[in-house]
Amino acid sequence: MNPRNQSYPAAPIVDGPAAAIQSVRRIKLSYLILMAIFAIFALRAFYVQVIRYEFYHASALSDQLKQYEIPARRGTILAYDGAQSVPIVLNEKLYTVYADPQYIKQPGDVARTIASVTGGNASEYERTMQDKERRYVVLAKKVSKEKRDKILGYKYPGVGAQEQTYRTYPQGTMASQLLGFVNEEGAGKYGVEQELNGTLAGTPGELKAITDVQGVPLAASGSNIESRPKAGRDIKLTIDIGIQKQVEDLLAKGVKIDKAVSGSAVVMDPRTGAVKAMANYPSYDPAKYSEVEDGNLFNNDSVSHPIEIGSIMKTLTTAAALNQGVIKPNTTYYDPATYTVDEFKITNIEEDGGPGTRSIAQLLDLSLNTGAVWELMQMGGGEINTKARTTWYDYMTNRYMFGKPTGIEQSYETEGLVPEPKDNGAAINLTYANTSFGQAMTATTLQVAGAMSAVVNGGTYYRPHLIQSTSDPAGKMVDKKPEVVAANVVSGEVSKAMVPLLQYVVDNHKIKPAFDQSRYVVGGKTGTAQIAKPTGGYYENDFNGTYLGFVGGDQPDYVIAVFINKPQVGKGQYAGTAAAQPVFADIGHMLINNGYVMPKH
Amino acid sequence: MAMGRQKQIGRNQNAVSFRNKERTLGPISNTIILIVLACLLGLLYLTQVTKTNAYGYQINDLQEQQTQLASEHEDLEVASARLQSLDRVQNSETAKNMTAVAPTGSVRN
Repeated sequence: MNPRNQSYPAAPIVDGPAAAIQSVRRIKLSYLILMAIFAIFALRAFYVQVIRYEFYHASALSDQLKQYEIPARRGTILAYDGAQSVPIVLNEKLYTVYADPQYIKQPGDVARTIASVTGGNASEYERTMQDKERRYVVLAKKVSKEKRDKILGYKYPGVGAQEQTYRTYPQGTMASQLLGFVNEEGAGKYGVEQELNGTLAGTPGELKAITDVQGVPLAASGSNIESRPKAGRDIKLTIDIGIQKQVEDLLAKGVKIDKAVSGSAVVMDPRTGAVKAMANYPSYDPAKYSEVEDGNLFNNDSVSHPIEIGSIMKTLTTAAALNQGVIKPNTTYYDPATYTVDEFKITNIEEDGGPGTRSIAQLLDLSLNTGAVWELMQMGGGEINTKARTTWYDYMTNRYMFGKPTGIEQSYETEGLVPEPKDNGAAINLTYANTSFGQAMTATTLQVAGAMSAVVNGGTYYRPHLIQSTSDPAGKMVDKKPEVVAANVVSGEVSKAMVPLLQYVVDNHKIKPAFDQSRYVVGGKTGTAQIAKPTGGYYENDFNGTYLGFVGGDQPDYVIAVFINKPQVGKGQYAGTAAAQPVFADIGHMLINNGYVMPKH
Repeated sequence: MAMGRQKQIGRNQNAVSFRNKERTLGPISNTIILIVLACLLGLLYLTQVTKTNAYGYQINDLQEQQTQLASEHEDLEVASARLQSLDRVQNSETAKNMTAVAPTGSVRN
């Protein structure tokens, strides 16, 4: 059977050509509508993303882009404790408790509760929180984490706490003027903190990132910028806290006994110029610097308060004359007990007796002003002249480094004063005669310690310094080498000769208890200086007491300089012996008895 | 016999019939496919972004932990330094119970 002839049931005729055309049209129409919708979307997207790009970009970023400054950790400050290192300045996170008064419903209750935790004044808190016009009031600062957790645990609406990093001082007030402090803005002020602020502060980092609603940076954002903060460097001081603590205590005791206005003391290692202790009294608590009323307390007087140093200068005058070869350690000379220079008489104290033959050791022991003038005259060939003045000026400024800052790592260091040697027509010879025994010039406690170190260490002036080491970027402490500022300040022979001369002075000054010179070398010289009036001339009844000496075993291990300002003991005129010498003796005994000085071999 | 069964092909007669079997997609199908592909790409992008952001949260958590630990370390350092401070040692019960001995090392006999 031919399939072509097979009959099938007729299909129902539902579509004609017109229906088919209509169907195609509907499809096309749907397609066009779809395309139109897409076109609208595309156009809208083009408008939003291209034409209005800047607007929407900025609008989106304002909500999503967060910019944070990442604070850099400030470097800590370490010091010696014997051979060990101990931190003396650290960072501590504390909290500022604040309130939004508009949310505080019962200020009285909230204030009492918070005050019971912080120990603050409840009525003050309440009064602060009643000021509804303010949206942010500080209730308490420097609140510990435990107390903060307790306060926030009460869940008072409108009460919060903000973290802030503060400097903390585990050793309390120790070395406060040397250290300085860090103010609320994070800037170092005074002392090491100010002088080395750039080293300690580090560099803050920055985080600029697209964040989620909670402020968490989205890692997928390609426009995130993060620069990590560079932590400040740690520094280690040359200070030994054991010596520092006891020097501070002994100085404070001395100033109180002397009924003095203030005092300062420096203990230096003469072989390196490293300062082992630097103390001032009165002092302050750096953790409570904002409560200090007298701004002068922030100054480190050891480096910023130069005074006329008095007779301790005779040590340096003698060393200069010996080094010039114009006198010998065993020289004797005739002391007339008075010199007239530029029509002014220079005399000695009554106890020194009248004219007579004196040795160099007696010159120092009796502290003869005329003896120091005589030494100056020897530098000029027998008289005070240009040669004497120029030579002595060279010693003062280029060898003992007076009249210029030492360069120690302290803010506000002052250079003191050394008069120019050229004849200015204003009694320059008298001025220079006065400088030979420590008047008409000024220096700081640190400067005299530096000069004495050079005299007794063999003749090398090392830059006085407080920084032993600084951490490198990897955190490793890198030592700073002692810096030689001047060699051959005096010859080795002169340096050696000066030690027994100054031991002689100590032995003859009836220090109690006396030092055992058979086991140790202890030498020094007192100084009593008149105090210049700001208007010219000197106060009649006010004096400063000074002492410059050393303590050691086989050789001087520590140079000690003590300034006591306006002591009331010793009738003023003997301030060096009565006020400064006991402090030197106490420090010397302390160094020996605590094992900082080993006896002679 | 076999030849006899073969279909005779005459002159001018096509030996094969050509039928176009290729099927082409219409514009709507193409559009839908494009949309689906775009959606798939978008989905792929979103999964990757989400995954990356999840890592970001992990990083953030770890950084917070690190900060927390560093903070605790600093707190402990401060506490340790305070406990060893000279004033505290000097005022401790142990120090108070010590007997003072007059130093004699520096004194001349």
